[in-house]
Order: sequence, then C-alpha cells, then structure tokens
Amino acid sequence: MVAGAQLTQPVRRKFGVTAATLAALFIALVLPSGPGVEADTLDGDIDRLKADVADLSQRLYELEEDVLYPADTQVAVFLTLRDRDGLELDTIELYLNDTPVASHLYTERERDSLKQGGVQRLYMGNLPHGSHQLKAVLTASSANERFVRREVTHAFRKSPGESRIQMTLDAKAPDYEPDVSFQEWK
Amino acid sequence: MMLQLRFAKCTGFLALALAFTPLPGNAAGDDQARLSGGLAKFALDSGDPAAALRYTRNLSAEAAVLVRAKALLATGDSDSARQLLEQLSSGQYHRGEAALLLAELASASGDDENAGKHLQTAARLAHGDIRQQALYRLAERHREAGQTDRAGQVLASMDPGYWAALGYMNIAADYGRRDLNPSRALVALRVALAMAEEDSDSSRSNELKSRLLVRAGHLAHKHEDYDKAISFLEKVPLESYSTPQGLYLHGLALSANGNHRAAMQSWHRAKKYPLAYPGVANAWLGTGRGYDLSGYLGQAGEAYLAANASFESERVTLRKLADQIRDKGAYQALVRDARDSNAEWFLADSRTLTQPRTAYLLQFMEDPGAQEAVSRVAELEQIGLQLARHEDSLVVFRGVIRERLESGDHPPADVARYKDEIEALTERMSGLDKQALTAEQQAALRNTAGTLAELGSSLDKLDQRLAQKDQRLSELLSRSDRALERIQANRSRTRRLQERAEAALNEIALAYVDKQDDRMAFALDRTEQQIAHLYEYLAIRNIERGEP
Repeated sequence: MVAGAQLTQPVRRKFGVTAATLAALFIALVLPSGPGVEADTLDGDIDRLKADVADLSQRLYELEEDVLYPADTQVAVFLTLRDRDGLELDTIELYLNDTPVASHLYTERERDSLKQGGVQRLYMGNLPHGSHQLKAVLTASSANERFVRREVTHAFRKSPGESRIQMTLDAKAPDYEPDVSFQEWK
Repeated sequence: MMLQLRFAKCTGFLALALAFTPLPGNAAGDDQARLSGGLAKFALDSGDPAAALRYTRNLSAEAAVLVRAKALLATGDSDSARQLLEQLSSGQYHRGEAALLLAELASASGDDENAGKHLQTAARLAHGDIRQQALYRLAERHREAGQTDRAGQVLASMDPGYWAALGYMNIAADYGRRDLNPSRALVALRVALAMAEEDSDSSRSNELKSRLLVRAGHLAHKHEDYDKAISFLEKVPLESYSTPQGLYLHGLALSANGNHRAAMQSWHRAKKYPLAYPGVANAWLGTGRGYDLSGYLGQAGEAYLAANASFESERVTLRKLADQIRDKGAYQALVRDARDSNAEWFLADSRTLTQPRTAYLLQFMEDPGAQEAVSRVAELEQIGLQLARHEDSLVVFRGVIRERLESGDHPPADVARYKDEIEALTERMSGLDKQALTAEQQAALRNTAGTLAELGSSLDKLDQRLAQKDQRLSELLSRSDRALERIQANRSRTRRLQERAEAALNEIALAYVDKQDDRMAFALDRTEQQIAHLYEYLAIRNIERGEP
C-alpha cells in the first residue's frame, strides 16, 4: 500500500511539473513578457490616462469659466511681444483700479515662447460695467544691458459681454525703450 | 520716465464680433484665431498641453495645427497627433517639423523604414535646429548600421553646434573601438569640440565639452600619448559632472610621465567628490599607489587604509540607500530626498556635485531606462496633484452653486428701484449736457451715458435671466457632479498606475544600487590586496635586514 503510494506520487508530480512547464512554455512562446513588455503596457496605460485627464481638464476649464466668470462681467488681459530681441522680460504686475490682481515671474521658456508669438493670459476676472483703470508694472533687461522698470496705465470702460485687453510690449533699437500699446477686443 | 503709451481702440471689432460665426478671412475671426493660436503656443510652452488643446479646438492655421499635434503628443494621444502631422506634411509651412515628429513616432513604434523616410524629408525641408536634429538622427542611423563614412558625410553637411558635436562624439567612440591607431578618433573629438563651441546654450556646451575632453584624454592615455592626454584633461572645468573622472585620468597620465607628486595632487582633488562618480574610487587607490611609487611606504599604507575605510563606509551608505528604497520607494529615496536639502541657494551649485545622494541620482539617471522609469513616476505624481487640485476647486464650485440655488430669487421691487435711479441719473445728465462743457467733460459725460444705457439694457434682461437662473445653476451643478465623478475615477487610476510605475522603478534602482555595491566590493578587494602586498614586502624587507 505504502509502496504503491510511493510509486504513484512521483508520476503525478512528474505530470504536474510537465503541465506547468508546458503552460509556462506556452505563455513564454505565445504571450510576450519581461520588463520591456511591462514598461510598454505601463506606457500605454499612462498615455490613455493622460489623454483622459487632458480632456477632463478642458471640460473643467470651461465649467470654471462658466461658474466664475459670467460673460457679461468677464475681463481678460493678455500680453504679447512685438520685438523679439529688444527686451528680456523679468516680471510683470497687474493692478485693476489700484488693486493688485496678477503678477508673473518669467522663466526662460516662457520668454522664448512670447518671443516666438506666444500670447499669455495674464488675468481673468470680473468687473462691473463702467470706467476702470488698468496699471501694469514691468521689469526687464533691455538689449543694451540696462535694467528697466516701467509703469503704464490704461483707462477703459467695461461694457456688457466679454472684454479682452491685449497689451503689446515693444522695444526698438537703438535705445530699446519699452513701449506698451493696448488694444481692446470685444 | 520716457514712456510712450499708445491706445488703439478697435471699434471695428465691436461690429464684427457681434456676428455669430466669423466668416473665414474676416478681420475679427482672423484676430480671434491669432489670439487663440498665440495662447495655445504659450500654454504648450509653459507645460499646459490641455489648455493648448482647448485653445486650438477650432483652429485651422498650420501653426495652430502644429501646436495641437504637439499638445496631443504631450497628452499621450499619438494617433490623433499622427493624423494632424500627416496633414501638415502636405501643407505649406511646417512640413519639416511635422516630418521630424512623424519620424519620432515611427521610430517609437519600431517602423524603421518610415522613420528613415520622414527623417530624409525633415532634413530636406526643415530649417535651423529642427534640420540639425534630423541630420543628426540620419547620421546616427548610418552609424548604427556600420556605415561610418556615410554618417561622416551627413555630419559634414551640418551647421556647427550641439547636434553636430554629438554626432562627431559618437563617431569618435566608434573609431576608438575599431582603430588600433587613435588618430581618427582624436580628430573626430577635436571636430566635436569645435562644433560644441558654437552651441548657443552655454551650460549645455560646457557640459558636452567636459565630456569630450575626458574622452579625448582617456583615448590619448590609452595609447600612451601622455602629454596629449594631459593637455586635454587640463582643460576640463572643475564644476562639471565629468570633473572627477577627468582629475583621475589627469593623475594617471602625470604618473605615467613620472610626475607622481602632481598626479597625487589631482587624485587628492578627485577624492573630494563622492565615490559614486566614475574615477573617484580609482583616485583613492591611486593615492596609495603614488606614495608607493615615490618610496613613501608608510604613507602608502595609510592611504590604502583610508581608501579601505572610505569604501567600507560607502558600502554602508549603499546598504542604507537600498533599505530606504525598499521602505520608502526609489522615487522618495533617490529623487525627492536628493532634491530636498537644507543647503542655502548660494551653495546649490557646489551641493549638486558633492552630495553622495545627488551623485548617485545623477549617475543612475545616465541610463535611459532609469530616465523613463523616473519620468513615469514624476508624470503620474504631477497628474495626481493636478487632479487633487481640480477636485478641491470643484468641491468649492459645487458649494457656491448650491448656495446660489438655495438663495432664491431677488424681489422684483429691486429692479424697479434701480430703473428709477437710472432714469433720475439720465435726467441729471441731460441737464448737465445743456451747460457749456469742455471737450474732456463732454467725453466723460458720453462715457457715463453709455454706461447708464448698458446698465438699463442689462436691467431689462434681468427678469428673463432670473427666470432662467435655477435651470442654469442646476445644469452647472450636474456638470460639476459628472466632472467630480470623472476626477475621482481618474485619481484611482492614477494611484494604481503610480504603484506599478514605482514598483518598476524600485526594481531598476535596487539593481543599480547592487551594482554600485559590487563596484565598491571590488575596489575594497583591490585595496586589501595592495595592503597585503605592502605588508608582505615590508615583512620580507625586515627579514632581509634581520629586524624582527
């Protein structure tokens, strides 16, 4: 009895091992595996997540605008550069009716982006209808290696509907004096 | 203050903006498209590809399509990006850049043939840095296929700068491996140095030049041209990643020239850097060897013992690092802890090269696999933080919307009172209008009249808007609820993926730390052998002298 059991056990175990080996071989041959494959799967999953999060971010942004900035009271201020090499923008501060509403410290990449035609939305908020004053304080280093700090003001009237104000910064040779122009868009 | 202030009021836009859909080619539509295109570009460049996608949703200009394609690539939607890039490649303005991006996509999916074709197109049509990148990649393809001469021809057609320097550096490595004579490799390295000189990014140029000088020094030393090796290595700047290795090789070349004293000065300087850097462990050993060759056997023994203690201590550090990786994860132990420091900002530069953990991180990050693993975790961490911020904001929005819903309607009497006030003010203004006014006063009056008229028309619409208020708020609330559900689902997805990404990074990091430990064990073994040889020699000498 005992001897019989001893005889049968190794056979079963052997079969078990063979089946497992075959299964492993099948998996190894049919299904790709290894750290590279895991990394590829992970990259694919991360890409899908990133695409979903980007879509979600866009919808949230629209929702935020609808909740926080109703079209009738909405005011947005944008910044563009006209001259590529005249000024290296360092910081900008925005005041609406003497209240500070936005400030920005520029990185190299942001400066390059502005020089290549990028437009920065400096501020978005709400204002009642009527007359208002926008003040911008900018610091920059000019192409003739001067540090400049300038204040500019612009009076405007908030009307119903979205109001957009575009500030364009220019600094022409030879003196590279900062020149700020304002354009109102409706 | 010589400030010029210009004010250009675009009244033309007022009329045009009233149109529901701007016709193609009309001024307001074009300006709107330009503004959105510029906003998209800035958003993409400042790391917000989702905003870039939003701004470019309805834009058809080629520059905006390119920004959209790049934003899609940054957000992981390669298929949509490929479609846009293919559309651009038959366009007018951005064919070269589109071809380079298509080549990258083809290469990532293993389609080498198409990658090559796109690179050829990019090299033919692109300008500036994009063209140089395309040419560099073409040269690399030839080099990797063993066609060094064709790679050289491509490199010869490139403008001086970073990409050409990289190409010549790689070709030099090939020559160095194949040739028995180092001349071709050294010439290629000299050309690479000249090309790197023209790179407009000075920090990148300095780092590359340091590497090139160390390579040239190593090559010259290997072929026993010690004076040439010294001349290259003397030019390695002291604040680069390659400095410790450069100092070690400099010492080696000086020692080979018989100048052991100067050699030991270089090795002493190399020893100031953490043992993680290439060449530092050898510099510790070299100091002992230098004393030995100079005949100072006592100091040689002390130097070897010091090296021994230093290697032992480094192995303890590595074991602690491995334990921390197992406990806290590699991202925390290697990346975050290396980043967090109490050092003052003005010490930051020296800190980067002298902190052992930063040194291990820098060396670990040399491996492309490690770079990918770390960037996966970093990216997922950022996504997690972004989603958490969105969730916080959304919870506040929902609270605000609920409050507005519960606050009820304004009494209609308020509207009537405001209308009376506007009427009274308008009457007062018409009284003022009859008086003699300056031009400035007239302008101010016109301005105020305009505001009053706008307020009046807003009040007229108020009843209608108040009637729709609840419906609109309910719609906003249900949009917020849906968004919140999506955020929470994506946060769980992010957490799960981050766990997987961290596990993969831990595996690579632990293998790296093990390898470093093996390196230290080998260095320790060599020091012990040197000490044994030294003691053996001293014992034999004492026996020969008849001393006990």
